[in-house]
Amino acid sequence: MPSLLLEIGCEELPAAACREAGAQLPPLAERQLGAAPTEVFVGPRRLAVFFDEVPERTPDEWVKGPPVALREKAAAGFAKKHGVAVNALVERDGFLGVARPGQALREVLPERLDAIVRGLSFSKSMRWDDSGIRFSRPVRWTLAKLDDDTVVGETTFGHRFTAAAVEIPHAREYAERLRGAGVEPDAEERRRSIVGGLDDIGGWSDPAGVLEEVVYLVESVQVLDGSFDERFLQLPERVVVTAMQSHQRYFPLGGNRFAFVANGGNPGVVRAGNENVLEGRLDDASFTFERDVELGIDALAERLGAITYFKGAGSFADKTERLQKLVAELGGGDATLEAARLAKADQASELVREFPDLEGYIGGQYARLAGYPEAVSAAIEEQYLPDASGGPLPQTEAGKVLAAADKLDALATSFSLGQKPSGSRDPYGLRRGAIGLVRLAVEGGLVVPRSLLPEEVREFVEERLEGLLAVPVEFVRAARTSAAPDLAAVARLAEELFAERETAAFDGVYTAYDRAHRLAGRAAEDAAPELDRALLKEEAERELAEGLARVEVDGDVRRALESGATLAPLMERFFDEVLVMDEDAAVRANRLRLLLDVRDVLGRLGDFSQIPR
Amino acid sequence: MSRQAASTERIANRTAGPPNFFPRMSALAAPTFQDMIRALEAYWADYGCVLMQPYHTELAAGTMNPATFLRSLGPRPWKTAYVEPVIRPLDGRYGENPYRFQHYFQYQVVIKPAPADVLDLYFASLEAIGIDLRRHDVRLVEDDWEQATLGAWGLGWEVWCDGMEITQWTYFQQLGGFDVELVPAEITYGLERLAMFLQGKGSAFDLEWAPGVTWGDVYRENERQWSAYNFELAPVEALVSRFGDYEDECRALLDRQLPLPAYDQVLKCSHTLNLLDARGAVSATERAAYIGRVRNLARAVAQVYLELEADAVAAA
Repeated sequence: MPSLLLEIGCEELPAAACREAGAQLPPLAERQLGAAPTEVFVGPRRLAVFFDEVPERTPDEWVKGPPVALREKAAAGFAKKHGVAVNALVERDGFLGVARPGQALREVLPERLDAIVRGLSFSKSMRWDDSGIRFSRPVRWTLAKLDDDTVVGETTFGHRFTAAAVEIPHAREYAERLRGAGVEPDAEERRRSIVGGLDDIGGWSDPAGVLEEVVYLVESVQVLDGSFDERFLQLPERVVVTAMQSHQRYFPLGGNRFAFVANGGNPGVVRAGNENVLEGRLDDASFTFERDVELGIDALAERLGAITYFKGAGSFADKTERLQKLVAELGGGDATLEAARLAKADQASELVREFPDLEGYIGGQYARLAGYPEAVSAAIEEQYLPDASGGPLPQTEAGKVLAAADKLDALATSFSLGQKPSGSRDPYGLRRGAIGLVRLAVEGGLVVPRSLLPEEVREFVEERLEGLLAVPVEFVRAARTSAAPDLAAVARLAEELFAERETAAFDGVYTAYDRAHRLAGRAAEDAAPELDRALLKEEAERELAEGLARVEVDGDVRRALESGATLAPLMERFFDEVLVMDEDAAVRANRLRLLLDVRDVLGRLGDFSQIPR
Repeated sequence: MSRQAASTERIANRTAGPPNFFPRMSALAAPTFQDMIRALEAYWADYGCVLMQPYHTELAAGTMNPATFLRSLGPRPWKTAYVEPVIRPLDGRYGENPYRFQHYFQYQVVIKPAPADVLDLYFASLEAIGIDLRRHDVRLVEDDWEQATLGAWGLGWEVWCDGMEITQWTYFQQLGGFDVELVPAEITYGLERLAMFLQGKGSAFDLEWAPGVTWGDVYRENERQWSAYNFELAPVEALVSRFGDYEDECRALLDRQLPLPAYDQVLKCSHTLNLLDARGAVSATERAAYIGRVRNLARAVAQVYLELEADAVAAA
């Protein structure tokens, strides 16, 4: 069987488009050609698939139609649908159908290649002529080689500036010929040589993960290193790293050195050019930085009244006031209060305008430069943590409090303005904020009183516990209705209820709660507002009331369960001996109240009806 | 709160941005600023472009010139090239920062429809101004362009030369909210950056504009005075009222089927908004509302323009 090479030549594709095409090409090619590609080449200027062996003919097809018996009724419609004459239908095994004999691959390759081009889909696509094709960037040539036979196109093209049209004598020689023309078509090979080049230089880092993009920014790999004037080391380190990585896709080497990947050119010229570009960026950042520092963080904080937080939520000065109040309510000390006062000051700085991802960090640096204590500066720096799923929490106590206050305010403010996340829409990142708040409580040990959260916000935040804790959601739901005073206590209760679920005490409480809830829960409006001991006529109901008064459910969960479980035998006797639905309305209402009290006291441990048995 | 919501989203004026960077390279036989412009003019005129002149009112980008924005709409082919001074009040720094200006230059080329070899044409223009493509590392880096005020977007790249962005390159897809009929290629050279690259200068002020005359000689004082106006003196109340006047005038002109003068009112609205922004007189939310008003005008202009174009084509 022959080998086959298909190539789609493009103008420079973005890295994301390369990844999308790389994922779609193998199944798409297999669907069109009936064989899985042996190799897939993905790069900025070309997408290609190579098949070691492909069948020379496409398979015969048989399109099954209506049974022969229904020829009168259905044959015409079926034939029309498939574009054949009725008398061209073929009979096979009692059915009519269309027989499509396989065709020579050579004949169908042009249309199959076209179908592959049209079959690729990109999250962002464009048109560039009237072909009707949408692609990530314009397609400029296609090539199909069946062994040494050129079926589509004429040649491929080498490196954009150092090579011209490249003949591919045989499908098997594709990669080799391109390598001779300054192009490494294989993304994995490019990655290996980039990493190899960086390792040879040594000491490289890639905190922002630009390697994945750089692999698709070059066809030819040339790893170079450079340096910048040491005076720029006065800039906050992350400003320098961001300028290198986000703006220039460089790899920091520590100190004033960096590495980068070029697509060609004279190494000395290219290095000098890149060094000066980076110095220009750092010089510009220095202008901005020095102006901010000259003003100082306190002066910046005074400008916050002029900057809108977001629509309807006042200015950043208003936000600052709310933060200070929340920080106090969360038990923050003097350092935390000071940090809250200065937390948003960097929103008025020019450097944050230029480096928006570094908000918080820049404020922390400015606080240090102004001589504020490390506790204050660190808290400002840590206020947006955790800022990624599974990302680190603030290390300092003040940082935890400030970070919680920031998230709490964002949630409360947004919810009060009706800006709640719905479905996948969450423009203000409130889900991430809520998860952050829960993690600060559960993992960070921060006491976040539930009473600080408006009801809707509390519901939203506590729902996040369901995904975060390693216990079935029913136990979390049960604990959420408990009297636990803070977020971490809800989490602990859910875990402990789950841990105790097989114990006799749990069973006792569960049964008592369940029976009280089933009988009285639906008749709550008929119950007396308060228990009247004078109306307790029967021994069994008096014992239950006395037992209930002795139950202690706040504090340690195991002891609470054991205490609550003492009600189980009393409840059993109560149901054996007492008729709740007494003829006397007052007695009946009182008995309902007693049962509701049982439910509510035990309910301080959670809503057991959430837990299935 | 997310930084998207909180941070100041500037009015989406695009270009090859303020001239920031330069390479440390030999300045042998480097063209002056004006020679570089002459070389680009000659190159694109030879290709067949109509050489236009800068527009007569303030623009924040060469894209906003009607020779690009309006001519890119409709079914008629068009090729043009021109220098555009771009005015961005917010970017001024009183002539103190060699990387930031409120007034600088773009060279703008539009070819509609884009021919299949349009990138090669562009690379050849770099050679025409003295860039040896084999000595340097010239690359196309993804840059998707969107301008909210004009209801416009397209896909393309920043062109990097040894890491410096020297050009923004866009295949327009929509303008004024309308799909383009023939897809134009828009090539926007950042002239100061290109010249700094070619002349090996670290500051735009030091660029040789003409023999013995620097860019700074011509424009540094201009930066100082206009920064003072933009940041301190532009009359906020009058600007707010002018914005409304321009808006009304635009609508009135559209009622009379005069999209060309109407479009000038859109440009004046846009510049007025940029001045208000520089004066710190609009919050992020207000800015979004202003942008929405400009976008609605741009869309209405594009619609009337397209109607007249369709009539003209039908008559021909």
